Amino acid sequence: MDLAFTKEERAFREEVRQFLRDNVLPEIRRKLAEGRKLAKDEIAAGARILNKRGVPTWPKEYGGAGWTLVQQYIFEEEVRAFPAQLTFGMGESLVGPVIYTFGSEVQKKYYLPRIANAEDWWCQGFSEPGAGSDLASLKTRAVRNGDRYVVDGQKIWTSGAQYADWIFCLVRTDPDVKKQQGISFLLIDLKTPGVTVRPIRLIDGDHVVNEVFFDSVRVPIENLVGEENKGWGYAKYLLGNERFGDAGVGISKERIRLAKELAERACVRGARLIDQTAFREKVAAVEVQLKALEITQLRVVASASKQQKGTQDPASSILKLRGSEVEQASAELLMDAAGPYALRDLSQEEREGRNEPPVGAYGAARSAPTYFYSRAASIYSGSSEIQKNIIAKAILGL
Amino acid sequence: MKLLVPVKRVIDANVKARVKADGSGVELANVKMAINPFDEIAVEEAIRLKEAGKAEEIVVVSIGPAQAAETLRTALAMGADRAILVKVDELVEPLGVAKVLKGVVEVERPRLVILGKQAIDDDSNQTGQMLAGLLGWAQGTFASKVEVAADRARVTREVDGGLQTVDLKLPAIITVDLRLNQPRYASLPNIMKAKKKPLDEKVPADFGADVKAKLKVIKTEEPSSRKTGVKVGSVAELVDKLKNEAGVL
Amino acid sequence: MNFDLSEEQRLLKDSVERLMLDSYSFGDRRKYQTEKRGFSEAMWARYAELGLLALPFAEEHGGFGGGAVETMIVMEAFGKALILEPYFATVVLAGGLLRLGASEAQKAELIPLIAEGRTKLAFAYAEPQSRYDLVDVETRAKRDGDGWILNGSKDLVLHGDAADKIIVSARTAGDTRENDGVGLFLVDADAPGLTRRGYPTQDGLRAADITLERVRVETANVIGDPAGAFPVISRVADEAVAALCAEAVGSFTQMQAITLDYLKTREQFGKKIGSFQVLQHRAVDMFVDLEQSRSMAIYAAIMAVESDASERERAVSAAKVQIGRSAKAIGQQSIQLHGGIGMTMEHSVGHYFKHVTMLDTLFGDAEHHLRRLAALGGLSGDQRME
Repeated sequence: MDLAFTKEERAFREEVRQFLRDNVLPEIRRKLAEGRKLAKDEIAAGARILNKRGVPTWPKEYGGAGWTLVQQYIFEEEVRAFPAQLTFGMGESLVGPVIYTFGSEVQKKYYLPRIANAEDWWCQGFSEPGAGSDLASLKTRAVRNGDRYVVDGQKIWTSGAQYADWIFCLVRTDPDVKKQQGISFLLIDLKTPGVTVRPIRLIDGDHVVNEVFFDSVRVPIENLVGEENKGWGYAKYLLGNERFGDAGVGISKERIRLAKELAERACVRGARLIDQTAFREKVAAVEVQLKALEITQLRVVASASKQQKGTQDPASSILKLRGSEVEQASAELLMDAAGPYALRDLSQEEREGRNEPPVGAYGAARSAPTYFYSRAASIYSGSSEIQKNIIAKAILGL
Repeated sequence: MKLLVPVKRVIDANVKARVKADGSGVELANVKMAINPFDEIAVEEAIRLKEAGKAEEIVVVSIGPAQAAETLRTALAMGADRAILVKVDELVEPLGVAKVLKGVVEVERPRLVILGKQAIDDDSNQTGQMLAGLLGWAQGTFASKVEVAADRARVTREVDGGLQTVDLKLPAIITVDLRLNQPRYASLPNIMKAKKKPLDEKVPADFGADVKAKLKVIKTEEPSSRKTGVKVGSVAELVDKLKNEAGVL
Repeated sequence: MNFDLSEEQRLLKDSVERLMLDSYSFGDRRKYQTEKRGFSEAMWARYAELGLLALPFAEEHGGFGGGAVETMIVMEAFGKALILEPYFATVVLAGGLLRLGASEAQKAELIPLIAEGRTKLAFAYAEPQSRYDLVDVETRAKRDGDGWILNGSKDLVLHGDAADKIIVSARTAGDTRENDGVGLFLVDADAPGLTRRGYPTQDGLRAADITLERVRVETANVIGDPAGAFPVISRVADEAVAALCAEAVGSFTQMQAITLDYLKTREQFGKKIGSFQVLQHRAVDMFVDLEQSRSMAIYAAIMAVESDASERERAVSAAKVQIGRSAKAIGQQSIQLHGGIGMTMEHSVGHYFKHVTMLDTLFGDAEHHLRRLAALGGLSGDQRME
């Protein structure tokens, strides 16, 4: 048993560090260090740089780097610490693996390189107004008509649809069977006539999610992934991947670092907030939770290579559940550290592209929106209650 | 005298086995594995024979995946002298196992092969008998007592209705039953010693054995669960229930 | 990075777990508890036979050179079975002091006695006023020719009434709560002037209060520097916390198993109660706490031998915070999920609840360690509190 990296792992880490120093643009690095958002073309350019040696999370034969989970973990840590932008989003992390696992040869050849080169942006069309936690009750219909499907319905909470070129959707292709058995996995070009994207503003003031409407949208049948009516299985595979990577350790670490930084500057009756016992104990308590989560993730990562195909360490089931709770606790710390300086709303200035305020005040001003948005962590991609249902059944056998 | 003890890696006896969702077999992912308890008794008996000066060397052999090396290490830590792992990733049926063991016997030339009467995973109870058949050796199965002299072995067998004693001419095969002995735990000194004991890796082809499956598993299902029992207050009540409720008397 | 057990560690785990399974059922435990000293001498002999009593000592002293991970394996198995024997007191605590503080001659004399199960030890560190502060020592040791005279009283000496020899922390110089001036003295349990009053602890183990009145200790029985033993005590305490974390994880594991079993068999409203979602979510909360605790116990074991004191203390404290909080969470859930039967002495789950609650109070509870961690600047960053 050893927490330290092996010689080979350390060499890999050094290589990653060198690669980042050689390739990541200084202005991107600075922007990220200051906690600012990147523009779409900056993200795309960044992705092309990071994917130079293959997509970190993909196997070699599909244009991936072919790294082990431990290597992926090291890469992620280094990218965060640098900082460079982490991922190109859902194309890479969600639909890519579904396409190379279940897609046709034609689909693999067409879509995968375009994702790897950041040519196509993807978003996920799963949730619907009437199908949230009960995802399988989704109603968006796809009716086969010759060599096309005609899609009608609505998706909601679609992150990044405003930037995306494509959407991967769960659609109902057979309304007459058990709800899980009539679902298909369809790739839809967002430029197709009949698709409308409408923004939803969330309580943090930001525009991340959208509604996507489909009105007689004609989709070629070759855009079906795998077999018709087998989409639920592919979605479960995808959500499994999503949960696996969702511990958010890096996000929470960053928040705690920021909270401590804010507390070093904040004054309470002439003394620094960071020197107040009550505050320090609050931070330490969250750090303990985060460390426990991080070690659990490392245990899962380390054991993954030895697991039989298709099985996971039972501990992996708690990563999403616990990860969202720790993310939320760390967001609360940010609020506590910022105190009254959390009040100022900078979202309008941000939207207008102005960013003059000094870094410190800027960090404090981001803390409230961060806290507000953090509430979503225990709701999206399987709410905490759904996670508990899954663990109770699959792991505890209840 | 050299003893050969075949050991099998099976689901730990304390784990509740679960059938895979698709019914293709028993779920082995994330399940604790251990040495087959009957084989463990065989290892213990071999060690006792050695401690009593009746044997000089104990060779343990396992046929199975790479992880079966763990099972062999357990036997070495109990006190066996060296180990042979015959690596096969697929499930091997008793006949396949017996063929490999015949090959091992021909190379190692033990005077006695001691093994469990059956493995607790498939409960076949065939390997020892098949090996005796293939080698044309004497066999004493279901042993609850073993006495070994220079070229004979006396085996007390647990059979229906009592004990039977058979006298075997060596070389021979003995399969052991539950009540033969209480196996020891691997102690730290022996665990440390086991580290230095040799473990050779082989494949079935090294012994010219064909381990291809001859059987096809059609489906696997869990046994129906037992109904809740009742406690009876007296013998009379029991007899009454057996007569009038169960209808077996 | 790797979390695998080595071949030897796996075999050790198999052996100890099997021994517990075969000889330490809840019924066995109850029987052992009624023996003269409140635990099983026969089991103690089995531990010796398996080499467990020699586990952490160096090979040249007849040990097996086991580290914190090996101790973790053994303590976890012990925690699962809720053992009564003074393994923690003799091997982890007193053994740790000898390992890190004693002279070659002292080791050569004592370690074989421990290893063979012939001598049991205890460590008297706590005092009426000290709470969790190991340096808060008022017991005095005064020079007396070529020896020392000890005066004072020690509280809550774990397994103090079964010990043949007791290692006592006493002040040779300095004021109460000063790091310098603390020494370790090896005292025979029947030494003139030493009186002890044994009593059961809440979780069915034993402890003793000890009074020292002009107890004479020869120089040969001083462990290490008579005025500079605190660093040794502090390292042993960190190792002890790591061991307690592992023991707690063993108990948690068993509590989870017992509770799940109950949820799958107990019926109410015509259904297995495990089919109710409210109870399922409580069971999942237990599972999450268990896995988080397991991770932190591993972390503590790996870090317990870290030579950088600050790194070590932060890690160990973080682990004890997790374990202490999980002891409450898992303990309370397991009782609640059992309902009335969980409140009875007859059922095992309450005994686990009592034991893990007591583990929280040994060598600093969650609040104590949270304070220490916070004062050290937390787990990230290096803002020490002045």
